[in-house]
Amino acid sequence: MTKNSIALEPNRSCLPETGSPGILEINALSIYARDKTILREVSFTVTERQIFGIIGPSGAGKSTLLRAINRLLDLQPGFRVEGSVKMHGREIYGGDLDPDDLRARIGMLFQQPVVFPASIEANVLFGVRHHRSLRQAEKAEAVEKALRSVALWDEVKDRLRDSSLRLSVGQQQRLCLARTLAVDPEIILMDEPTSALDARSTEAIEHLLLELKEDRTIVLVTHNLDQARRVTDWIACLCSEGGEGRLLESACCDAFFSSTACRRFFDRLEDG
Amino acid sequence: MRRTLDRFLTLLAAACAAMTVSVLLLIVTAVVWRGGTAISWAFLTEQIRLVGASGGIFFNIVGTLILLATALAVSAPLAFGIALTHGVYLKNPRARERLMLLLYVLNGVPSILFGLLGLIVFVLFLGWGKSWLTGGVLLGLMMLPTVTVALSERIQALPNRYLEAAAGLGLSQPQIVWSVILPQSFGGWITGSLLGLARAAGETAPIMFTATIFAGATFPQGIKESPVLSLPYHIFILAQDSFDPAVGTKLWGAALVLVFLVFFLSLAALPARLRLHDEASHD
Repeated sequence: MTKNSIALEPNRSCLPETGSPGILEINALSIYARDKTILREVSFTVTERQIFGIIGPSGAGKSTLLRAINRLLDLQPGFRVEGSVKMHGREIYGGDLDPDDLRARIGMLFQQPVVFPASIEANVLFGVRHHRSLRQAEKAEAVEKALRSVALWDEVKDRLRDSSLRLSVGQQQRLCLARTLAVDPEIILMDEPTSALDARSTEAIEHLLLELKEDRTIVLVTHNLDQARRVTDWIACLCSEGGEGRLLESACCDAFFSSTACRRFFDRLEDG
Repeated sequence: MRRTLDRFLTLLAAACAAMTVSVLLLIVTAVVWRGGTAISWAFLTEQIRLVGASGGIFFNIVGTLILLATALAVSAPLAFGIALTHGVYLKNPRARERLMLLLYVLNGVPSILFGLLGLIVFVLFLGWGKSWLTGGVLLGLMMLPTVTVALSERIQALPNRYLEAAAGLGLSQPQIVWSVILPQSFGGWITGSLLGLARAAGETAPIMFTATIFAGATFPQGIKESPVLSLPYHIFILAQDSFDPAVGTKLWGAALVLVFLVFFLSLAALPARLRLHDEASHD
């Protein structure tokens, strides 16, 4: 037992239903950056149509873990991944899987909104136009659908050709989400998507998350415990031991927040 | 003691700066002063006559513009290819360093050697004779390091978050190159090209025995045996025969046009360069 361990009472009522296999199964996943271990033997399962929260202190490898799930880590030299990540039971680090196809099916939203210096419309279509050939009418339709699904349509419908850099940070983040949704991914990874936003924009994004999980699965890294409590169904908690990230616990949200051991850990997290 | 030394070094630095500026001013003033009187509509639009003592430099301007346009067309694909190899496809840092080193070596090759290369390869081996295309290719190769380095620096400065975001949307590497890296580094290409062209415009050595003649050429009709007139070579020849006052004025007039052309190219690069700095400070 390490000093950070949490002894959680097993809570059967909130375990994933048997017969509903996980959309993502992560098994003994370790990530190394050259000689340094970033993450050691992390295992958890994400079921479909849930918001799966990942919490933990800075340096516990949360963002790296996310980038391993859609193989974005492949683009950064020096990283090595061991263990298994399966999507719908198929190994994503297997030989025949195309990482570009994988990233189209597992979308990603970053901490800072990354809009391209182009129009709002061009930003929404940025990904999808590379995956499908769209006629003019289909493009307009796709833009409207994506912007409506992030509640941005009414704010920008008269200035779709304007530069997206003129939008507020909160609007930019919703635009990024619209751009991701336009590609129609099954899973969306979110790396602290509200940490750069004010309270109102944060609320708007959280509201969207709850709507999105009707037909998508979301993996949300967050620093904000209240946010985790408000929106997640299941939580994985990472900790950092000697610079290595480890999984402390993976349990359903209610069990997590009602446990006294967890509360002590959270207190430490918030203090530190 | 330290203060005296400090003051001495400040004075020395100021003197160096003043000397540089005064040399520049002297050249520009001399060219404008002596060449200004030659400039007229006829000078810019008429053909050369009486071995440069009369007439204008129309086909010299045309020839120089043809050489520069060809140099631009030759350097652009090569520069994009090398910059993308350096910034995107080469993963080994040592190989990237070597590629850059080669470019710096190319930059250091004396221009007369480019002339010899052109003479051996294009004029003699390929049998083109004196041709505008040879001159354009040689000038393109000469400006290649300037263009490539400017482009590479822009690609290096591209925020990683753009590449991650594009990859996160499932774009393949060629798609990322096409829709993120190329549009975002276009400003670097413009800056590098205009700076390179400004230098290439005044080069005489690479074109004097490969691409240009003093008189008797108009628009090129083909590739083989198809030389053009050019401003630098015109100045070079007239300068050897400048005892005739009429020739002297025409010589300075041609120099003024060349200076103006270079100045115009440098000026045209300014907005792109300013935007580059502006974007860099926002990233």
